[in-house]
This record gives sequence, structure tokens and C-alpha cells, in this order.
Amino acid sequence: MTDETTWIIQAQQGDEEAFTNLVETYQKPVYNLCYRMLGEPEAAEDASQETFLKVFQNFARYDRQRSFATWLLSIAAHHCIDKLRRRRFNTFSIDEDEEGQTELPDRSAPDPESETARRQEGELLHNCLQSLDPTDRAAVILRYWQDCSEVEIAQTLKLTVPAVKSRLHRARRALADSWEEKTARVRTERKPYGSPAF
Amino acid sequence: MDHRPFEDWLLDTQPLTIDQKRQLNTHLRTCSSCAAMAEVNLALKSVSMTPPAAGFTDRFHIRLAGRKQALRWRNFWGFSVLTLSVLGVFGWVSGPVLKDLIQSPVNLLASWISSLVSIWASFQAIIRAGMVLFKVVPGFVPAYIWGVILFAAGGWSLVWVVSLMKFSKYPEGV
Repeated sequence: MTDETTWIIQAQQGDEEAFTNLVETYQKPVYNLCYRMLGEPEAAEDASQETFLKVFQNFARYDRQRSFATWLLSIAAHHCIDKLRRRRFNTFSIDEDEEGQTELPDRSAPDPESETARRQEGELLHNCLQSLDPTDRAAVILRYWQDCSEVEIAQTLKLTVPAVKSRLHRARRALADSWEEKTARVRTERKPYGSPAF
Repeated sequence: MDHRPFEDWLLDTQPLTIDQKRQLNTHLRTCSSCAAMAEVNLALKSVSMTPPAAGFTDRFHIRLAGRKQALRWRNFWGFSVLTLSVLGVFGWVSGPVLKDLIQSPVNLLASWISSLVSIWASFQAIIRAGMVLFKVVPGFVPAYIWGVILFAAGGWSLVWVVSLMKFSKYPEGV
């Protein structure tokens, strides 16, 4: 029996220490999923905390035949999808909110220039992700960040495998369109600052 | 411009042949849409996970303690309101009876016995009427009507059983 299985059994019997071990183990994938889904660190923190609370309160319902990670990520993904659906009625824009959130490059990194480029690319991808439909976004995050197979994504999001394939294809196409549009905008914005000599 | 099969090659996890790679590279030089897809694909494959701020587990414990406290308060107030409501209703209903019981217990007891007797008599009369109907009605109703009634009752029971089974299942996830 693995450590994780032991913690799950103990946590189902109400052992808080065992549950703490599960939180320690899964905090990063759950937080990352919420952050990529919701786009903001504060909202991601709140959503991931709520996910663990839901799991704690409903642990008796967990079927040990299923993968714990899939069950946990399924709860997190559905929580975020619900939040995003509710957010549609709100008036504020994520793009506006993120404008002031430029991360400074890590000076201790071996190559600051490539580190900056990598960060900019990451930010661009993060912004492109926000333009996707919530379920498509969840499928992309589970595929690339959590390394889930199409079957696991189908189980997590309660979809069929062909539906996952089609959603992934559509999402990557949409991401590419958004990427193309955003990089073109960045290039035209940079032009006025460029030297006329070049 | 036709993007197939280049889109499929870009998204496919299978390795490409040398000829396919050459064709893809030539296409990427001329097609900005497929080039963007290649860039996104590369960016997606090199992404890293974002960890939460330090102390996530401590913050979880604080939130859990708060939630437990709120639940305890909710249970306490719920129980208090329920108890007071039950006591209030009991007092309102039993007040006049208690008053009568204190003032004239014999009269109250006699009225209770008389009510019980009348309920028993009504019950007996209903049973007798039912027996008479049970003997008389089947002669008036044709056999096929009984068949239809039994069939409808069976179908209705089946719908009930299926509905109960469906709604009593635990949902997957939360």
C-alpha cells in the first residue's frame, strides 16, 4: 500500500494530519489549474482552498477505485468553470486587471535575456488561454500542465473521449489565432519606439 | 490556404518523417496561421507549473477552522430556533387542554372517550361500506377495464422504482 493510499484511508476516517499530507502533495497541481483557469493569483488561491475544503467535507463520497488525482482535479476544474460562468455577469475585464501585473525578470537566472523572453512568452500564453471557453481551457490545462491523457481528461471533465479530442483541437486552433493576433499587436505597438535608422 | 495535413502533423504526437518535416518547414515559412500554431504548441510543451504562495497548508487550516466554527454556530442556532418553535407550538396547542384538565378533569376525560368511540364507529362503518362495494363493483366493470387498470398501475410502479433508484444514487465528484 502506498503512502498516498494510506493517507486517503486515514483522511476518510477523519484524520486531519493525513489530509494535510494530501494537501501538501497536491497543492501545486490544484493551484496551477485554478491559476490557469481563473487568470489571477488571488482568485486561484481562493478556488484551490475551496477545492480542498470541498474534498475534506465530501471525502466519504470518494470511491477508492478511482484515481484520487482525477477526482481532486475534477472538483477543482468544475469549481473554476462555475466561477467563470458566474463571472460572465460581472463587468470587469481580466485584460484590464492584468495590465499592471508585469513580472520582473529574475536577475539571478543564468541568462536574464532568455529568462525575460521565456516569461513574456509565458504571459502571452496565459493571456491567450483566457480567451478560451472554460471547458476547452480546462482540457488544455489538464493536457499540457498536468500531463493527463485524453481518457483522464474525459473522466475529469465528464466528457467523452471524442469530445475531448475535438475540444483540444478547437482550443489549440483558437490559441494559435489569439497568439497570432497578440504578437502582431505587440509588434505594431513597439514600432513607434524603434529607431528610424533601422 | 489549405492547412491540412500540416495542422495534424503539428498536433500529432507521432514523430514525422524527413520528407514530412521538410514539407512542414516549407509551409511554416509561408503560412503565419500554422506558424502561430507551431509556436503555441512549443510554448505549451515548455510550460511550467505555478506554485501557490508559501504557507498554503497553514492558510488551509485557518480556513478549515473558520468553516468548522461557522458550522458549529449554524447548528447551534438551527437547533435553538427549532427547539423554541416546537416548544411554542406545543404550548399553543396544549394550552387550552391543560387549562381544561386543571379546571375539570372528569369532563375532559369523558369528552376524550366519546371522541375515541365515535372514531372507532366511523372506522367500522367505512370498512363495512368498503366490503359491500368490493362485492358489488366487480360485477359492473368489464374484465378488459381491470386489465387496463392493472397495466397502468404496474407501469406507474415501475416509473416510481426507476425514479427512486436514479435519484438515490450519489453523484460522481462533488
